[in-house]
Amino acid sequence: MTAVLAPPAARPARPSRPRRIGARLVSVVITAVVVLAFWSVDIDWSQLAGFPSNLLRYLGLMFLPPDLSTLPAAFEATILSVQMAWLGTVIGIVISLPLSLLATAGIGPAWVRWPLCGLFSLLRAVPEVVIAVLILSVTGLTAFTGALAIAVGSVGTLGKWGYEAMEGAERGPIEAARACGASPSQLLRWGLWPSVQPEVLAFWLYRFEINVRASAILGLIGAGGIGKVLADNVQFRVWDAVGTLLIVVVVVTVLIDLVSGALRRKIITGTWR
Amino acid sequence: MRPARPRTAWKGLLVLAAVATVTVWAGFGVQVDIGALVKNVGNATDKIVLLTQPDYSFFPQTLPALAQTLQMAVIATAVGAAIGLPLSFLASRVTDPNRPLVALTRSVMNVVRSVPDLLYAAILVTVVGTGALSGTIALVLFNVGIVVKLISEAIDAVDRGPLEAALATGATWVRADRAAVLPQILPVYASQTLYVLELNVRASTVIGLVGGGGLGILIDQVRTFYRYHQLSLILLEILVVVLVLELASSWLRKRLVA
Repeated sequence: MTAVLAPPAARPARPSRPRRIGARLVSVVITAVVVLAFWSVDIDWSQLAGFPSNLLRYLGLMFLPPDLSTLPAAFEATILSVQMAWLGTVIGIVISLPLSLLATAGIGPAWVRWPLCGLFSLLRAVPEVVIAVLILSVTGLTAFTGALAIAVGSVGTLGKWGYEAMEGAERGPIEAARACGASPSQLLRWGLWPSVQPEVLAFWLYRFEINVRASAILGLIGAGGIGKVLADNVQFRVWDAVGTLLIVVVVVTVLIDLVSGALRRKIITGTWR
Repeated sequence: MRPARPRTAWKGLLVLAAVATVTVWAGFGVQVDIGALVKNVGNATDKIVLLTQPDYSFFPQTLPALAQTLQMAVIATAVGAAIGLPLSFLASRVTDPNRPLVALTRSVMNVVRSVPDLLYAAILVTVVGTGALSGTIALVLFNVGIVVKLISEAIDAVDRGPLEAALATGATWVRADRAAVLPQILPVYASQTLYVLELNVRASTVIGLVGGGGLGILIDQVRTFYRYHQLSLILLEILVVVLVLELASSWLRKRLVA
């Protein structure tokens, strides 16, 4: 019996693998950049050999056990940081809300909108700490000026999110309000605000979460609060106190994130969880 | 009959009252003092003038620090993205059948993410010494947290069909993840890595403020000696670098994901 095999020519040739020269080129360039960075950077990589054991040693010093007697002071400092973040967020909201209203297409005139959008992207481009250094170098270092720095740092993102939300708002209610003769302020309150409110409230809360971290960082450069206490303790190598402070930072940040995240979900979806 | 007006105003008022109370409390906490602020700003007009006049002759001296900033950002992005990828697979329920492991990875990452990058740097500076290494390690920690969050969320949203098919052929989880999930998330991974690079360039310009290397060290130096015209040049450089990188990266990311 002879099995009849299909002639090989009848089978269509397997398509050749697509040659993606562009992608190849990009990956070569990326690899080159990374290798160049590793090779040229002023880092003594041999230091890394001792890093794991060193890290374990310091972690031991910090957390085995943490010095819990500094707990009250740590909480007090954290509360100051949170207060800084809160006040900064509130001031940022107060500044950014009217600005983002003016920057909304269909509300503000073009000659106001473009400079404002430019200002927002400028403020977003500069790292917050840089804004803080700038402001603090003029106003001096206090918790209040730290809050101001946070406020200015927040205006960029809050402003952008604000006008994006308002530009995405439903047109219907606004037209309806206008059609029944609403004044401009009534138009904003009853036509615009109800449809953007959940989104706006949610990103205010989200910005507060970011600012809690920012306020800890501002403390490191001297604005007070948990960051300052931490920097001092690191400087004087009081490691068990540093351990307590870190625990407090993590716990408070995670707690605020949890509460704020739950609130945001409630605002957006209408239910807890 | 006209429906009764819903009475929800009290809710809003309650929230407003609570917010106002917390704000006043915070105001007392940070000791709001507008008078002192106005006085300080009034005394600082000469600084403000200096800040608006960058000292361009200082530029050559900033180049090594600027280079170091970029090097740190690139290295940290590469290492952070490389460590973050396998961890993201561990942190997603789709690709990791071991529920306790998913929960463990996620909570460790939550803790890692809750510490700000500069805080890591401030501590690492004393562990490994001042310089680019401590800053780079701090950035890596910060990056791993972000990469795992973003990528594991992308994995959660992935199409599970290919994964089920791969598992049905008898593949191990690792192989099925590699063959069926990895290709789906690669574009997102590339895009988010670029985003992390953006974040890193920002962070690495300031991480030197606590001794972590890069432009921040220079900021600290000129700030302590009140050389505000040099400070303003550094700030200008940061602005240019961040803006250029952001434009390039957002252009690339649009092409990657679209």
